[in-house]
Amino acid sequence: MRRTVAIILLVGTATGVALCAVATVLYAVSSHHASKVAALGVFALFGTPPLRLAAVARGFLAEREPKLALAALVVLSVLLCIALRAALNFRL
Amino acid sequence: MTALLLAVVGFGGGLFGALMGVGGGLVVTPVLTHFAGLRFSQAVAVSLTAIIVSSSASSASYVEKGLTDIRTGVVLELATVAGAVVASLLAAMIPQALLLGLFALVAWYTALASWRLRGRGGEGQTAGEYPVHHWGAGMAMSFAAGATSGLVGVGGGFLKVPAMSLVMGLPFKVATATSNFMIGVTAAASAYVYAARGELDLAATAPTVVGVYAGARLGSALLPRISSARLQGAFAAVLAVIGTRIALDAWSLLR
Repeated sequence: MRRTVAIILLVGTATGVALCAVATVLYAVSSHHASKVAALGVFALFGTPPLRLAAVARGFLAEREPKLALAALVVLSVLLCIALRAALNFRL
Repeated sequence: MTALLLAVVGFGGGLFGALMGVGGGLVVTPVLTHFAGLRFSQAVAVSLTAIIVSSSASSASYVEKGLTDIRTGVVLELATVAGAVVASLLAAMIPQALLLGLFALVAWYTALASWRLRGRGGEGQTAGEYPVHHWGAGMAMSFAAGATSGLVGVGGGFLKVPAMSLVMGLPFKVATATSNFMIGVTAAASAYVYAARGELDLAATAPTVVGVYAGARLGSALLPRISSARLQGAFAAVLAVIGTRIALDAWSLLR
């Protein structure tokens, strides 16, 4: 489980940060694509915590730890509810 | 020039966050308001995004090294999320100045306790090799950390680290790594709300998170090499500053 969670954290963050780095350069040259690229980067960053919660829940299920898996799923559900509510009136 | 300043500030916040188990909002938010011209709510939104990056970047390393206690973290996350939800529901009914004053007292008390007990937790750097006790008190402090996050938009690491290290018996570095693992989720919940309100300034966020990522990766490489006593001493000093900052926020609300 640790390896999967670490990979999700690393890939999610590196993708988001790489897009934000590109956006920073685009902002510097006043490109009108800058905000779109930055928004994609932020989207990748925002998506990382729920993905790692899902990986943790799956990992605990595989390790036959249903209570810990349930705890992770409850936290994931709350986070997704907040995200869904926010997504309904997203104004970047 | 502003982008460079934001990247440098982000680097400091990420480094600080990875080493201390707190999000680094204390470093990032004031600089964004005073030097980058952002409104406080916009600065908090960028800071929350920075906390997600700091948490994820450092945790990627800590989880793989076995420093993060995922079991304890997942259980405490339940209390944290419950605290955040309850606080957001009751926010309008609770006098915020009173709550902030209480949090300031807790921060100062914890700073004193961390300073006096520094070095006593040992140099343990592997999750699971210790008995975890006082779950009730740890859950209560995590609930309070979540409530603080819901009310003032921070990660709450300044309560989670002492809850795990001073109350539940986790070695300090494991507590730091586990707090880092948890604060990303707490910060994400608040960050979604701020972004939905249109408070997230993308032009300020982009360079800040690049700096945070670099700082957090460096911090996660340095953590295993620094003694726990030294880290705890630094953490105590940081807590005293956080306590003072929260007390000033409470005072400004009362005026």
